[in-house]
Amino acid sequence: MAVTQLTQPQVTTMRGADLLVKYLKLEGIDTVFGYPGGAIMPVYDALYDAGLKHVLCRHEQGAAFSAVGYARSSNKVGVCIATSGPGATNLVTALADAYMDSVPIVAITGQVSTAVIGTDAFQEIDVLGLSLSCTKHSFMVTRKEDLARVLKQAFTIAKSGRPGPVLIDIPKDIQLADIEAELEISQIDAIEPAETADLTAAIELLQQAQRPILYVGGGVGMANAVDQLQKFIEVTGIPSVTTLKGIGAVPTTSHYALGMLGMHGNRAANLSVHDCDLLVVVGARFDDRVTGHVATFAQGAKVLHLDIDPAEIGKIRACDISICADLVKVLPQLAVSLEIKDWQRKCWDLKQEFGTSYNAPYVTIYAPQLLRQLSDKLPNNAIVTCDVGQHQMWVAQHMRFTRPENHLSSAGLGTMGFGLPAGIGARHARPNDPVVVVSGDGSFMMNVQELGTIKREKLNVKIVLIDNQRLGMVRQWQQLFFEERYSETILTDNPDFVALAKAFDIEAKCITQQSEVQSALNEMLNSDGAYLLHVRIHEADNVWPLVPPGASNADMMESV
Amino acid sequence: MSLQNNTLKLVLNNSPEVLERVLRVARHRGFKVELLNWQSESATLEFSVSSIRPIHLLINQLEKLIDVTQVTHLTEVTQEKRA
Repeated sequence: MAVTQLTQPQVTTMRGADLLVKYLKLEGIDTVFGYPGGAIMPVYDALYDAGLKHVLCRHEQGAAFSAVGYARSSNKVGVCIATSGPGATNLVTALADAYMDSVPIVAITGQVSTAVIGTDAFQEIDVLGLSLSCTKHSFMVTRKEDLARVLKQAFTIAKSGRPGPVLIDIPKDIQLADIEAELEISQIDAIEPAETADLTAAIELLQQAQRPILYVGGGVGMANAVDQLQKFIEVTGIPSVTTLKGIGAVPTTSHYALGMLGMHGNRAANLSVHDCDLLVVVGARFDDRVTGHVATFAQGAKVLHLDIDPAEIGKIRACDISICADLVKVLPQLAVSLEIKDWQRKCWDLKQEFGTSYNAPYVTIYAPQLLRQLSDKLPNNAIVTCDVGQHQMWVAQHMRFTRPENHLSSAGLGTMGFGLPAGIGARHARPNDPVVVVSGDGSFMMNVQELGTIKREKLNVKIVLIDNQRLGMVRQWQQLFFEERYSETILTDNPDFVALAKAFDIEAKCITQQSEVQSALNEMLNSDGAYLLHVRIHEADNVWPLVPPGASNADMMESV
Repeated sequence: MSLQNNTLKLVLNNSPEVLERVLRVARHRGFKVELLNWQSESATLEFSVSSIRPIHLLINQLEKLIDVTQVTHLTEVTQEKRA
């Protein structure tokens, strides 16, 4: 990663709140997401005429997820702002999400004045304490002279190494204090180059392998190494599989791209990994949804692990060679041509054998097919965000992405309610690119208040709401593993989603028949502003294939 | 896997919450703190932990903390924090 150009330090005296806003602008932040309240009022006063776009979300969780969507779609730092107490606690879920998915965001929270911290003052909570398990790092500013340094440090930490969320808790008296400070923008910490001996050993592993597989994770996109990865694949010819976050890093048109691996992965991807003799892990971390039963995951394979975070090396799976360096530099250094024609042929055959089919199990609309049709209609620069559950897996399996920053999915934390606010954030980061939110009837209700943000900002965000009147993924597991005891997963009392959208001035339509799909998708995509397409599907549609809990990835279920 | 005892010495940035950060990571990653000696002035922490998990998992996670500047494994090898 390139070191950001430093500008000349600027010495000025101003209120802490003004210093914060001035710093954000200096840092290149054009949009922030937030919600005002008592202990953050000086910052909102500073924002009033600062020329920095503030998006009023309708819940602090919505603001934080919008910052996540902004960051993930643009590879820039997302910023969200909340008041003390409940404002700050409402950020926690999205901070945890950003932590699990290594997303660089900076959260600013107001705090009660330093004199009353620790007295259970109105809207006081120990935010620093709350932040410890859900941020990469956090600060509480207790001396006004620390504010400028903390801001620079927070942005540097958020985007350096393995990125992540950083929280800055700022007491109200610090926001109001006159501060003389030098403002310097953040930089990205330099990354040590790879050791020559490790590179040599890695190349040796590659050349010795007869059945290598490339296991691609979200780290590739975050390192801005998508081009280098694609060149590496071109030169080596190694068949590849991707994680949920790795989707888009390998073009689906790539000859030996086998698709997503893991619990709901492609069978060809899982079987190839099962059979490989070298696993080349790039920016991935052996998540349990990827590995299934760890002891049988790529059991006979050696492991070459490339990741920026040393703590991921050997955490779940021991490796033979590891390199913790910049993928942009390392991947070209490892790109050697390999003689693996027989193996390529075998992977190709598996890919053909387990290709996608769209035989709808019922006469109702079949969501996988609808999503494929939607994907075929979208341009390459479209951003798709989704929520969590069955529809999320169908998006991953059936939509096509050419860049990881075009597929925003809550992977590590699996947070329902992610999609709508993430779409709002993405829309602000890339106002010229189409944004489609794919949601489910369960997830949608988790941050449904953000329809208010869409109305307020007149955002052109398309929403495809896949409705099976169930908490579908949990229902599927109840069917398969809990003797069809459908405990609290039946949502036949859902609201009228079309009426709900219309209450926010959002055009909406409900479809129930396969014959309506094409024209409804066209109508949605051709509409001028926001649009909600409510799609009713059969409640018994399941996500296939599936690796049952505790099983090897080679043993996938294909039906009930 | 058997229970193992290990002693680590950490040099820390002396922020008010730094002990919480270290102890939280130890607990969350599956290590029980058996003995602890904190020197505020030098911001050094010497502590013994027990776990069935290998100690390198904890060392790696502690090294990730921004306020941890050095980790030394006293009972076996000495290891400096990676830059």
